[in-house]
Amino acid sequence: MRRSVFGQKAAGALLALGLALLLLGPGTGWGETLEVIQPNQSLYPDPDFAGAPVGAVPAGSRVQVIRQAGDWYKVDYQGIQGWIHRQAFPAPKAQSGFNLPGVLFGAPAKETTSDEVALAGKGFTPEVESGYRQKHPELNFAGVDQVESFKVNPGKLDAFIKEGGLNP
Amino acid sequence: MRNQARWLALLVAALVLVQGCVAASVVSVGAIAAKGVTKAAEASRPINDSEEYYVGRAVAARILGKYPLYQNPKLTAYVNEVGETVARKSSRPRTFRGYRFAVLDTPEINAFACPGGLIFITRGLVQTCATEDQLAAVLAHEVGHVANKDGVNSISQARWSQVLTAMGTEAVKQYAGVGGSLVALFEGSIDDVFKTIVVNGYSRTAEEAADKAAVATLGRAGYDPRALPQVLDKMMAKEKGTSGGIFKTHPPTSERLAKLKVEAAEAPPSQDEAGRTRRFKAMTS
Repeated sequence: MRRSVFGQKAAGALLALGLALLLLGPGTGWGETLEVIQPNQSLYPDPDFAGAPVGAVPAGSRVQVIRQAGDWYKVDYQGIQGWIHRQAFPAPKAQSGFNLPGVLFGAPAKETTSDEVALAGKGFTPEVESGYRQKHPELNFAGVDQVESFKVNPGKLDAFIKEGGLNP
Repeated sequence: MRNQARWLALLVAALVLVQGCVAASVVSVGAIAAKGVTKAAEASRPINDSEEYYVGRAVAARILGKYPLYQNPKLTAYVNEVGETVARKSSRPRTFRGYRFAVLDTPEINAFACPGGLIFITRGLVQTCATEDQLAAVLAHEVGHVANKDGVNSISQARWSQVLTAMGTEAVKQYAGVGGSLVALFEGSIDDVFKTIVVNGYSRTAEEAADKAAVATLGRAGYDPRALPQVLDKMMAKEKGTSGGIFKTHPPTSERLAKLKVEAAEAPPSQDEAGRTRRFKAMTS
């Protein structure tokens, strides 16, 4: 009789705890796959742009996240592991729509989304640039986009360096 | 039978618990990112690479509002090849989105390095250079400013503190307020950088550090570092008696030039300069 009461209590407690954790915990995790949305992204040996890239990751590729450090993610892309900057990925999505604390304790109707947190936390972002552009239509951002398209072809650059007797 | 039912209930509860633990222990990219940025906001931190990139774009947009781009694809491609050759030998070979070089359509003699690696040289300064090595010297000096982060360092400390405050959790609650204040702070930061690189110029210390970086970069790339004092001499001769242009923003004191000549003289001789000068003439004639 004692064992049976204990069993019922234990099952109830475990069930409640499990349900609570399930509802409170976020749905995605490490090991998940993220899509690279920015063009010309590279994998670096360290979380820094200074090193020579260990591989290229074209826009539309999917990478497996291993871990994160600051603005950098260590990922696996087609068997190559390296670090990629967070700007390569879309802004983090908002968390699950179901809000247990809100239901139980009356949280505010509009929660701050993770996109908003990321925007506020990251400082100067494309969204801030967009606000600045709206305030200053006289500035030539189209010209800046044109300048950003002046990318040197690596093969042509190697030939240029060789032809000029320079150091590769 | 009842025992079996109890064990089954226990098993189901355990499974639910395990699933719940997994969901709670793994952390989404969004959650970690948000946590990370909140920490960053709490601490005083330097501007990061992507923020520097957006500041650089806005400063470049202001410069291009003042000077049009020189629409000469052949020359632009050539300037980018020379620029990339020196940038990859600099102390900062890569930036957030890479270095880009462009020619401004003005006879003024000047060059500007926007944070993040957008570098402008005027048509007047390209025409002042007599060799590819001199063009490389100007670009290496500007890359030195980017590598040393002289542009973003001109954002006033007080303003950056305000940026960090605006990024704090209190502000996050009011999204519109954060967006608005950050845009205003961004605007102020662009003013700080623009004033420094286009209107007032860098400090003498920053100029000397960029010279030193350029001399080292040119040597590593295979260009002649003596080309830097040479082109500064040429610019001084051309700009004599004028108050604007490059010497308003890059003042070459006699002390700076003397130091530069000593530093550059120590470099080993460069190979095939004549061949490089031929292709420079072909591109600029």
